[in-house]
Amino acid sequence: MYLLSLITFTPLIAAMIVLCLPKEKEKVIQIVSLAAGAVSFAFSLLLLPAFDKHTPAMQFIERFPWIPSLDVNYIMGIDGLSLPLVILTTFMTLLALIGSLGIKERIKEYFFWFLVLETGMLGVFEALDLVLFYFFWELTLVPMYFLIGIWGGPKKEFAAIKFFLYTLSGSVFMLLAILALYFNSTPNTFDMMALMNAHSLWSPRFQILVFLGFYLAFAIKVPAFPFHTWLPLAHVEAPTAVSVILAAVLLKMGVYGLLRISYGMLPAGFEWFLPMLIVIAVVNIVYGALCAMAQTDMKKMVAYSSVNHMGYCLLGVAGVSATGFSGAVLQMVNHGIITGSLFLLVGVIYDRAHTRDISAFGGLAARVPVYAALMSLACFASLGLPGLAGFISEFLCFLGAFPRWKVYTAIGVLGILTTAAFFLRMIEKVFLGPMNNKWTGMSDMNARELASVVPLTVVTVALGFWPRWALDFMNATMIHMAGLFNK
Amino acid sequence: MLEHVYLIPLIPLAASLLIIFLGSEGGHSRMPLLSILAMAWCLAQALGIFWQAACGHVHLPYQASWDWFSFPVDAGGKAFSYSMPIGVLIDGAAAVMLVVVTLVSSLVQIYSLSYMHGDPRFKRYYAFLSFFTASMLGLVVSNNLLVTFACWELVGVSSYLLIGFWFEKPGPVYASKKAFITTKLGDCGLYLALLFIFTKVGSFQITQIQDFVSRGYLAPMAATLIALGLLAGAVGKSAQWPLFIWLPDAMEGPTPVSALIHAATMVAAGIYLVAKCYFIYVASPLAMETVAWVGLITALLAATMAMVAYDIKRVLAFSTVSQLGFMMCALGVGGYTAGLFHLTTHAFFKALLFLGAGSVIHAVHSNDMRHMGGLSKKMPITFVTMFIGTYAIAGLWPSAGFYSKELILEKVYGHSPLMFAILLFAALLTAFYMFRLIFLTFLGSPRDTVKHHHADESPAVMTGPLLLLAFLSIVSGYLLERNHLFAHLVDYTFPEGMKPEGAHVNALFLNYGVSALVLGSIGLSWKLYGGQDFKLAESLKQKLSWLFNALEDRYGFDEIFLGLVSFSDKSARLAFWFDTAVVDQIFVDGWGLLTKIIAEISNLFDAMFIDRTVDGFGDLSVDVGSGLRSLISRGQVQEYLMYIAIAVSLFATLILSR
Amino acid sequence: MSAQISLAHYLTLGALLFLIGMFGALTRRNIIGILMSIELMFNAANINLAAFNHFLHPQGVAGQAVALFIIAVAAAEVVVGLALVLAIHRNTETVYVEEFSILKG
Repeated sequence: MYLLSLITFTPLIAAMIVLCLPKEKEKVIQIVSLAAGAVSFAFSLLLLPAFDKHTPAMQFIERFPWIPSLDVNYIMGIDGLSLPLVILTTFMTLLALIGSLGIKERIKEYFFWFLVLETGMLGVFEALDLVLFYFFWELTLVPMYFLIGIWGGPKKEFAAIKFFLYTLSGSVFMLLAILALYFNSTPNTFDMMALMNAHSLWSPRFQILVFLGFYLAFAIKVPAFPFHTWLPLAHVEAPTAVSVILAAVLLKMGVYGLLRISYGMLPAGFEWFLPMLIVIAVVNIVYGALCAMAQTDMKKMVAYSSVNHMGYCLLGVAGVSATGFSGAVLQMVNHGIITGSLFLLVGVIYDRAHTRDISAFGGLAARVPVYAALMSLACFASLGLPGLAGFISEFLCFLGAFPRWKVYTAIGVLGILTTAAFFLRMIEKVFLGPMNNKWTGMSDMNARELASVVPLTVVTVALGFWPRWALDFMNATMIHMAGLFNK
Repeated sequence: MLEHVYLIPLIPLAASLLIIFLGSEGGHSRMPLLSILAMAWCLAQALGIFWQAACGHVHLPYQASWDWFSFPVDAGGKAFSYSMPIGVLIDGAAAVMLVVVTLVSSLVQIYSLSYMHGDPRFKRYYAFLSFFTASMLGLVVSNNLLVTFACWELVGVSSYLLIGFWFEKPGPVYASKKAFITTKLGDCGLYLALLFIFTKVGSFQITQIQDFVSRGYLAPMAATLIALGLLAGAVGKSAQWPLFIWLPDAMEGPTPVSALIHAATMVAAGIYLVAKCYFIYVASPLAMETVAWVGLITALLAATMAMVAYDIKRVLAFSTVSQLGFMMCALGVGGYTAGLFHLTTHAFFKALLFLGAGSVIHAVHSNDMRHMGGLSKKMPITFVTMFIGTYAIAGLWPSAGFYSKELILEKVYGHSPLMFAILLFAALLTAFYMFRLIFLTFLGSPRDTVKHHHADESPAVMTGPLLLLAFLSIVSGYLLERNHLFAHLVDYTFPEGMKPEGAHVNALFLNYGVSALVLGSIGLSWKLYGGQDFKLAESLKQKLSWLFNALEDRYGFDEIFLGLVSFSDKSARLAFWFDTAVVDQIFVDGWGLLTKIIAEISNLFDAMFIDRTVDGFGDLSVDVGSGLRSLISRGQVQEYLMYIAIAVSLFATLILSR
Repeated sequence: MSAQISLAHYLTLGALLFLIGMFGALTRRNIIGILMSIELMFNAANINLAAFNHFLHPQGVAGQAVALFIIAVAAAEVVVGLALVLAIHRNTETVYVEEFSILKG
């Protein structure tokens, strides 16, 4: 049962099918793409009952030689760290595909690239060989470049090239780091599971250097201050569904890498970097929230709020405790769901009004109540209201970081306040107050939009009330991971 | 009965969801009945629990717990899976609170049937109200501080939704945001306190924390920090100094909401939280003293501000803040029972006053007391009930306020005479401004005849709750005081050696003395505002204009809030400027620029050195070639042949000589 | 001291003949003479081949066969060479090599 490969390559196969279809057959293309997304999601759900929650070991391992002369293998496997992210990816891609049905031009290429992107993202979370990891990591770049550059907003080319080059420049350092690990392991290997046990042979100095190489790549992806400025631009220019994927999944690759590789393989480097990581995390939280507060463009505001929320993830990671790690992973999932729905919802209003300026609206709650309710719910979830998904994960991140970094955590708590301030201001300006007569003809959400947003809202509430659905899968792995550091 | 106590928050929650998703919109929806039904059920449950507890049929505290979710924690270098419980803890305070919340909530919901009737969002109003009650009840019954905090936040968001219920108007929108942000500021402290508690204790369960603290494991420093964090949350939610500025603005919401949330229940949550975590405060005298002073300052400042307000709801709001200060102060001086007792009685008469004010506003369509006057004949029931409420809040015998307020004053007197003097002054001010409200609204001659003419007594749905609350405002104090029923139920047993020092207090002397002073204060109020004109008051205002201005400006606390807001706005803009102008320039565009510069340099290097070298090689070979050509290549076949021969013989020599 | 003719004698003869041919090729002015000298060198090689064949592999015929090939090639070469000489002669009216240097670039 090569389940992981099935999950990963179903979209790629569908992409090939889409490539062979004539481009006039738009309906068929859409159906094939949606079906591929749905099948991939269904396969990923099959993982859940088969997954053993009580072991931190890798599961569903697949292993084939790929380039035997260099000992490069095709190794796939997941544990409690990657499982939630795999399911998040398939779920969010499916919803983003539904949300993409409104795309009108160059449909064939769009869906082709989107499906390729899904394969790349899934691969990153499942690959257990560094070359394979790097391969998938880079595979996500190209589709993203085209998706932003062709279907984006007014400054799409600039945004696309900035995104591409900037993230690529990070990956270059990662490639160097990967090679450094390869040549310093005996026997030379790219096998991540083997490398995780190899660090005792490496000097701290070497680990620090390699760590920095990886960190550059991951920090740009996260995005961690000060490497975050590509994000708002890319988000603003990207089409809605691409923003969703960018925020919901692509950013997670950074934190995932930080946990899996930087922490798992280079503990000495990680330890050395820890005092800086906590500062970066707090800066991300407070500074990201402040920047978001200064925005008038809704999408940019949500983009900066992502910087803020990824700061919580970094905070959890910097806590180096099982609590913090599970908070960080849960926060990744929750941020994906919540910010995904926020981007979808901003897209909804943009499709109607062709503006995202928050001061251009007013009093919409009376006109579009369903939209207002869903948007407010998403905003409240994002500002960490209990009962909605964000609360528990944020709390766990703070709880995990608190014993080690009391003062920093206390500063970070201010970020929660700022987050509340700017989200409330957005709600106020867009939905409340006197009705802006310009939008009296605005229609409420249609079935397609509801189909892409409501599942996210449901999951937001469900995970808020019952976080054990997500946490139970992680606990064993997180306990194991935290144990690595104390050794 | 107790084993189903977990249903008490769940039933209103279910009602709220049903109301949102079922039924039609519009001002005549029948869905509110569902909400009232749910509330009635809860009330019955709460009364049952209270009765059983009061009669000693059940043993309190009662606790039941279920697993909610588990997450890994690290303790002593080892990580294990910690299972977070969700459950109920019913102690005396919770049993009393349950009754207060469900009772006021039921009455307010019935009252709202008429008050909000015809509002286009009638149904939604009840959904929010039900949701609020669910969260509030969750807060009351929870046995786990994390769940308490969760409900605490949900209560805050319901308050946000209800203050901003009429969101078309800018006033409510602004007020709702202000309320949310200000309380959230306090919640930051609470949040940190929770982190601290879990780090120290390893549990959120109140009984376990209590156990931990009572064994003396918690260092005094940690106890103080935690207690102050909790206090910050309470200060925000209970509108204590210096975060009290949101409550007067919150009066922009519908009046029944003010009665329920901003008078009787939610604002009492802060007091309740301090009471619930009282064992931590007991471990830290410094925190106790802080609590007392915060309460004291609040009680005094708010009372003074109420003196000059003309908006009937604002007066009540300031009075609420002030009374909450009384409770806080009582808790701070060790008067656990006194604080909670006042919380209970205050809930009744303050809800009564707000609902009465709502009845008046409903009749005259104005909040401004300068447009009222002489309404006693038009609205006799409202007048009588409101008078009873005022009588109770002034603390005159035999009303409920008499018992609770005297208890507080006794405790404070025992703690510190200075504090007692300040608090007594606040109590006198209370009597003054509350009777001022009554005089301005109901007595004298009508100042706005048009409004007066249209005013009419409210329907029975509204006056019914008023009458019931008026009854409770009179008798609840006596009933609860009799046989020390209340003290029996909620008394806090101080650990040995931690009992707050209290001198013996001559209660009788206090009772008479305070009552006499209160009567004097009322007389003064009558002198200033009781007549037809307010010459004396006006001249006083002229003479003391600086004081009046300061009071009307709320001592400038609003300016501090606005300053904070504009400061955060400014820093936000600064951060964003920094982001685009510096970080983006350096780390992204700078990155690109750096690459470009390196490219230029390497291009230059290439042109100057590498390319030169290549060209040089080419030139060299051309030069050498042409030199050689002129030397040896003259087109003579035989010469070539000779070269070949020489070369061959050379190679042959080389090969052979190996 | 044996009176028998050994391989060395043949090789000496071949070498002498080759040197005579080479000397001729390098010194003759007449192009016909050069061609003849080249023939001499060919034949020197032939003598060597035949001698090696006889002394080293008496059973084989490879050396003689190659010698035969060389004779054939030499004939062909002479044909081409003479044709060239003829062409040159027609253009330049001379058969002395130092007088045409069109190879010079």
